[in-house]
Amino acid sequence: MKQVDSRLMHLSRRQLLLGGGALVGSISLGASLTGCGGAAQAAGNDIRFWHLLSGGDGIKMQSMIDRANAAHPEFTVKPTVLAWGPPYYTKLAMASAGGRPPEVAVMHAARVAGYAPGGLLDPWDLSLLAEYGVRPEDFTQRIWEKSQLDGKVFSIALDSHPFILLYNTEVAGKAGVLGGNGQLAEISSPAQFFDVARELQRVTGKHGLSYGFLGDGAQMWRMFYTFYKQHGADMVLEPGKPAQVDRDVAVDCLQFITQMLDDSIATRSGDGGTAIAEFASQGSGMLFTGVWELPTMKAAGVPLDATTIPTLFGTPAAFADSHAFVLPHQARADDAKRRDVYKFVASMLKGSLDWAEAGHIPAYQPVVRSKEYAALLPQSHYAHAADIINYDPQAWFTGSGSDFQKYFAENVQNVFLGRIKPAEGWDAFIARINALLAKPNPV
Amino acid sequence: MTTSRLTAPQRRLPRAVLPRDIPRRGTAPRDIPRTAAPRGSFRDNWQGWAFVAPFVAFFLMFLVWPLLSGALMSLTGKSLTGANDGFIGLANYAEAFADPDMWRSLGNTLYFTLISTVPLVVIALALAALVNMGLPAQWLWRLSFFSPFLLASTVVSLFFSWMYNPQLGLFNDILAKIGLPPVAWLNDPSMAMWAIVIATVWWTTGFNFLLYLAALQNIPQQHYEAASLDGAGGWRQLFSITLPQLGPTTAMIVILQVLASLKVFDQIYQMTSGGPGGATRPVVQYIFEAGFTGYRLGYSAAISYIFFGLILLISVAQLFITRKRSA
Repeated sequence: MKQVDSRLMHLSRRQLLLGGGALVGSISLGASLTGCGGAAQAAGNDIRFWHLLSGGDGIKMQSMIDRANAAHPEFTVKPTVLAWGPPYYTKLAMASAGGRPPEVAVMHAARVAGYAPGGLLDPWDLSLLAEYGVRPEDFTQRIWEKSQLDGKVFSIALDSHPFILLYNTEVAGKAGVLGGNGQLAEISSPAQFFDVARELQRVTGKHGLSYGFLGDGAQMWRMFYTFYKQHGADMVLEPGKPAQVDRDVAVDCLQFITQMLDDSIATRSGDGGTAIAEFASQGSGMLFTGVWELPTMKAAGVPLDATTIPTLFGTPAAFADSHAFVLPHQARADDAKRRDVYKFVASMLKGSLDWAEAGHIPAYQPVVRSKEYAALLPQSHYAHAADIINYDPQAWFTGSGSDFQKYFAENVQNVFLGRIKPAEGWDAFIARINALLAKPNPV
Repeated sequence: MTTSRLTAPQRRLPRAVLPRDIPRRGTAPRDIPRTAAPRGSFRDNWQGWAFVAPFVAFFLMFLVWPLLSGALMSLTGKSLTGANDGFIGLANYAEAFADPDMWRSLGNTLYFTLISTVPLVVIALALAALVNMGLPAQWLWRLSFFSPFLLASTVVSLFFSWMYNPQLGLFNDILAKIGLPPVAWLNDPSMAMWAIVIATVWWTTGFNFLLYLAALQNIPQQHYEAASLDGAGGWRQLFSITLPQLGPTTAMIVILQVLASLKVFDQIYQMTSGGPGGATRPVVQYIFEAGFTGYRLGYSAAISYIFFGLILLISVAQLFITRKRSA
C-alpha cells in the first residue's frame, strides 16, 4: 500500500495531465464509436417499432412480430414497449417532435387527431399498401372512416377493441336468463336489464354484475359513452366553440348508471382489479369490460360467453378504440425502409387471427370472414360490434388514455358514487371541456 | 449533506420547467469568511478560472440557460408540436392566474407541505429524543428509523398502495380486527392526501431524525449536570436546555423540509396519479400535464415560474425569520 501511494505521489503533473487526457480521449472515443454503432444499426435492416401492449397482449404481439420477422428475412423488426397511457404517448410525441421517432408505431385510432395535424405523423400511401394486399375495402366502414383525417389516411387499424359484456353461462343458466341458443336472451330496456341482473344476483348471492371504475376514467367513460350513443345522441367538440352535447341524454345515462351501482346489482366501490376478481371467482354473473380481459377469464376457467352491451336505449352502439399502425414523421424518409414497414404492417394484418385470440376484433375483414375466426368462441359472438362501434368524439385531447377521460373521472366519479347529482357532475365536466376548447389548439 | 431526497425529487422533469436549486442556496452556511480575492484580475488568476471552468460551463448550460430559456418560453404559445410558436407576452400568466385547476393544484401542494412538515419535524424529534434517552441497542433503533429513507419512491409507493388496498390491504384488515369500518384510503378525496402524508412521514422522517439525534448528542453533558445540581427535573431540563439548544437545528430542518415538501411529486403520481378527482394533484404534476400530455409547453413554463416565485417568497420569508431570531 505504502509503496503504491508513494509512487502515485511522485507522478509529475505532466504525467498526470497526459494520463488524464488519454483517459478522457479514450472515453469520448468509446462514446463516439458506440454512437456510430447505433446509427449504423438503425440504418441497416432494422425497423424500430414502438407499442404500448403489455401483459397478455404484449406476449401475443411479440409472437406476431417474431412470425413477421421469420417470414421476411429482408428486415428485422425491433419492438420497444412502453407503459400504456401518458408514458407512451408523451414519449412518442417527444420523439417525433425531436426528429428521432421509430419507423412505425401503434397508436389508438382516437388519438391520431392529437398527433397528425401537428405534423407528427406521415400519411400512408394507399397504392403502396395495395401492392402488399391491403385495400380500403378490407376494413369496415366505421374503422376506415376513423383512419382518415382531412382526407388523408394516417392510421391503419389492426383491430377494434370494444367495451363488451362477458357473462357466466353456468350462472345465467341457473338464473334462467339464457335464450334457446344457449346465449343470453335479448335485453332491450333498462328495466329488463335490472331484472336479469337481479336474477343473476340471486344465484351468486353476491352481485349480479361486476364493473370496476374507481379511479379509472377510461372505464367510466367507456360505459357512459356506450349508453350515450345508444340514445342516438351526438357529441361534437370543435375548438373555439362550446361542446355540442345532449345534456338531457347525458344526465339520463348517469342516472341509469347510479341506479345500477346499488351495491346489489353491482358494487358502488369496485375498482378494476376487484371487478375482475369477483367475476373470475363466480361472485357475479356478468362483467362489463373491454375485450382484452377475455384471455384472463378463459384462463380462470369461468364458463364463459360474450356479447355486445345490450341495446337498452334504442340504438345499437358500442364504445371502442382501435390499435392502429402509424408512421411517425421522419425528417429523412428512407424509401427502401418505408417499403419494409408496409410489408411488415401488411403481414401483421394478415396474421391478425392470432391477435383475435387476445380478444380483439381484427380490423382486416378477410381474417374476420375466415372459417378459423368463425370457430373462435366467444370472439365471433361479438364480432358484429365492429359495425356499431363509436370512437371518442374527435378532438386533439380525446382518445384512450387521454386527459379527456381523466377529466371525466375528476368530475363524474362522485356521481357514480352517489355523492353528487348527475347534472352537477356533468356540468362541471362540460365546463372543463369548454375551457379546453376555448384555448388555442396546440397541434 | 444531501437534501434532495427529503420528500420528492423531481428528477424526471427538465430543469427548464422546474427550478429547484435556487431556493436551496438559502440553506448554505452564511458565515464562511471570504478570502480577499482581487477583483477583475482574470489575467492574474487564469489558473483559478481554468479550474472552475468545467463547473462554470455546466452551471451555465444546465442551470442558467434553462432558467432563461424557460422564462422566455413562458412568454410564447409554444407547443410540443411547434404550433403557435409566437410571442404572446404575459397571456400565459394571465390565463394561469384565472385557471381554477392551477390554483387547486397549488393549494394541494401547500396543503401537503403544511400537513407533512409538522409531523415530519415533531415525530423526528420525538424519535430522536427516545433513542437518545439511552435505550438498549441504540444502533438498532437508529437503523430502523433511518432505513426507510434509503428506499426509492417507487418502492415506498408500491408498499403503501398495497397496504391501502380497500379489500386486501393491511390497514383495513387492522381496522376490521378492532371493529372499525373500512376506509377507502386512496379513493376518498378527504382521506387521500392524509394517506399520502402517512406514507411520506414513514419514508422520510428518518433523515430529520438523524439530524436531531446528532444535535442532541452535541449538547454538552455539563448543562444537564449543572441543571440537576440546581434541582431541575426531567421536564424542566427538556424545556430549558434541550429544546433551546436544538433551535438552530430545528430552523434548518424546517427550512429543508418545507422546500422538499413543496416539490412533492413522485409518491403522489405513483399512488393516486393526482386523484381522486384531482384531490391530491400537486402543482408539479399539473406543470407536467400542461406541458407533456397537454402539449402546451409555454403555458406549463408560465405555471412553473409562478410556482418558482412562490418558493422564492417562502424561502426569503423563512430566511428573514430565522435570521431575525438568531440575531
